Amino acid sequence: MRNVAIASTQSEPQFAALVDATAADPDRREQLTELLREDHPLYAGRGAAAIVRMRGWILLAMARTGVSDAALIFVLEELDTGTDAYLVAATARALRSYPRPNAALAPFVMRALANIRYRDEPVSFESYGEYAVSSTGTTPVRELLATLAWLGPYAQGALQELESLRAQVGGRSRKLRKDVDRAMQAIRGADQTDESNTQACCRAPPDGVSNPSFRGLKSRCGFAPIDSIVFEDHKGELITFKEFFQGQPSIVVFFYTRCGNPMKCSLTVTKLARIQKLLEAQGLADQVRTAAITYDPAFDLPERLRVYGQDRGVRMDAQHRMLRATDDNDTLRKHFELGVNFVESLVNRHRIELYILDAEGRTAASFERIHWDEQQVVTRTIEVLKE
Amino acid sequence: MATKRKVAKRSKSTKKPNASPKASARRAVSIATSSQRTVKERVAAAAEAPLAVCENEKDLQAMLNVLRNKDEPAKVRLAALQSLQAASFSVLAFEPCRGEYIATLRKVAEDPDPELRQRVLGLLAREKDGFAQKKLLEGLRNPGKALLPPEKALQLLSYDVHAEAYSAARDIVKKPPSEIARREALRLLAADASAAPLFEKLLRDKNELREIRQISASALHALKPEKLQETARKILLDKSDYDDIKATSLTALTQFGDDEALGKDKALLKSVDRLSAGEAPAKYKQSARRFLSKYGR
Repeated sequence: MRNVAIASTQSEPQFAALVDATAADPDRREQLTELLREDHPLYAGRGAAAIVRMRGWILLAMARTGVSDAALIFVLEELDTGTDAYLVAATARALRSYPRPNAALAPFVMRALANIRYRDEPVSFESYGEYAVSSTGTTPVRELLATLAWLGPYAQGALQELESLRAQVGGRSRKLRKDVDRAMQAIRGADQTDESNTQACCRAPPDGVSNPSFRGLKSRCGFAPIDSIVFEDHKGELITFKEFFQGQPSIVVFFYTRCGNPMKCSLTVTKLARIQKLLEAQGLADQVRTAAITYDPAFDLPERLRVYGQDRGVRMDAQHRMLRATDDNDTLRKHFELGVNFVESLVNRHRIELYILDAEGRTAASFERIHWDEQQVVTRTIEVLKE
Repeated sequence: MATKRKVAKRSKSTKKPNASPKASARRAVSIATSSQRTVKERVAAAAEAPLAVCENEKDLQAMLNVLRNKDEPAKVRLAALQSLQAASFSVLAFEPCRGEYIATLRKVAEDPDPELRQRVLGLLAREKDGFAQKKLLEGLRNPGKALLPPEKALQLLSYDVHAEAYSAARDIVKKPPSEIARREALRLLAADASAAPLFEKLLRDKNELREIRQISASALHALKPEKLQETARKILLDKSDYDDIKATSLTALTQFGDDEALGKDKALLKSVDRLSAGEAPAKYKQSARRFLSKYGR
């Protein structure tokens, strides 16, 4: 549904005006979700800060019009892994426009609070691209606390954490203490709510939102053009897609070494190392291959790949490799429909993504946007292995 | 001895006998923020204040007001900034104060005092602050709006690889306002994968400044190590190139080169032999001898 005609050449004020117009039109509102896709052409060639401003503005528009079910995954993704104050604040505000508050949302809000509380800073939503130079407005922590208040009894599992935050604030900030108190009051305020529902906060979320990142089976079409793509691994050895990814199932993650968000690439590669250990424990390390492929092959040379993997405990041998495409990175990107965009050769925004490939090298399943559970990935891989 | 006396004198001004460290720090805040005290007393007190700066809202606001107030003496404002900065290192304790602190830094980033401006922008840039990056980039594109000299702005922008500074740095390399700005622009571009051909060209250019050629060698090693090896070899074979650049090239080959290929490269070994026996300064000759000994010569 790529109806919103926004080109990468459009200026930021033009973009902001178009988002406002789209949000104001009830027939076109749903198109705002499409604009949150990282691979949307409008993000090509823009810097990371511009993308923060743009995505923030879309989320603020959603906060006015309401977050739909289709847009919810983008909101949860930002809460799960976001570290930018403006984006997290806008996302927290947007979530409050979701029509069905429920207990499964609370762990995401709490995770965002844990990620951002030591990076809290004033943000301004007054006009596009504005930075706050006074503390009279809002901050991501304040927005997240307001969202917990909105969740009310659904966020009961968050109370302990809020108590400790309150103690830490003490007499240092009346404003913040008031926000914490308001959230706690709202959570405690509705004792009449069904306990089985409210206790779900901070435990496993209920069905429907239990595994929002899992994409299930993708159509396993053939893809001859990618077979010949040449990769260079962490030791400088060259290998084609076909040579490495055919013959056995494999698990593939994408990352880049210059990623500044510790909740994304660094964590993804660390979790790949844990997946490798789970495979080893089940005696499957020789039956399933693993690969971490960089988004940034021009910069991520073999030595950088090796050190990055080694620092995160990744097993690296003939079956398990850190890879960079030596050319044709675009074909690779199109094949996997990677959620990434670039300014020149540098990544400006990406999602987190893991793919399970079958023994033919075709995509059998994917986990996207929200961090996956390592055991769940292994279980799904074993299913593919048994096929 | 003199230092000890100074410390003793300063302690006397802010500490009461048997006062707890926090009580002393609170007293230090009240001295540092009092316009009734001398500049010297206030600066000394600010150094002892960090422990109390974020203990309560009143003290925080008082310290931030000193930093914001253009009528306060510059020395006192700088001392207040240093005190707040020291307090911010205790990330957990400073959490409730961070918002106000960052907002104040953004405000002071455009202060008329150049030293304060530079210090504040430096702190914000280290936080990868979007506001500071925007202001610094605006200044590079429009020097009339610049808050800092271009070389300093480039240095601060280089803290964040995602700061969108490559295009501005390229423009400065093409049309440098000063040699020092050009140097900083090149340092920043050393993380730009597409800049490898530029560094290769600069490294080969004998008319280029030595420092620029050395920066280029280091950048090329980071971006395209095989190109550095190739270029270093060419430089060593070039009889007319400078000894210090040859020595840099030699180090690159010694440390990172393909030992097997280098050991068989007769032309290269002969050229290094010449460097070791020629009239080059002793340290370059030593590098040449080290290289030759690696290959049994």
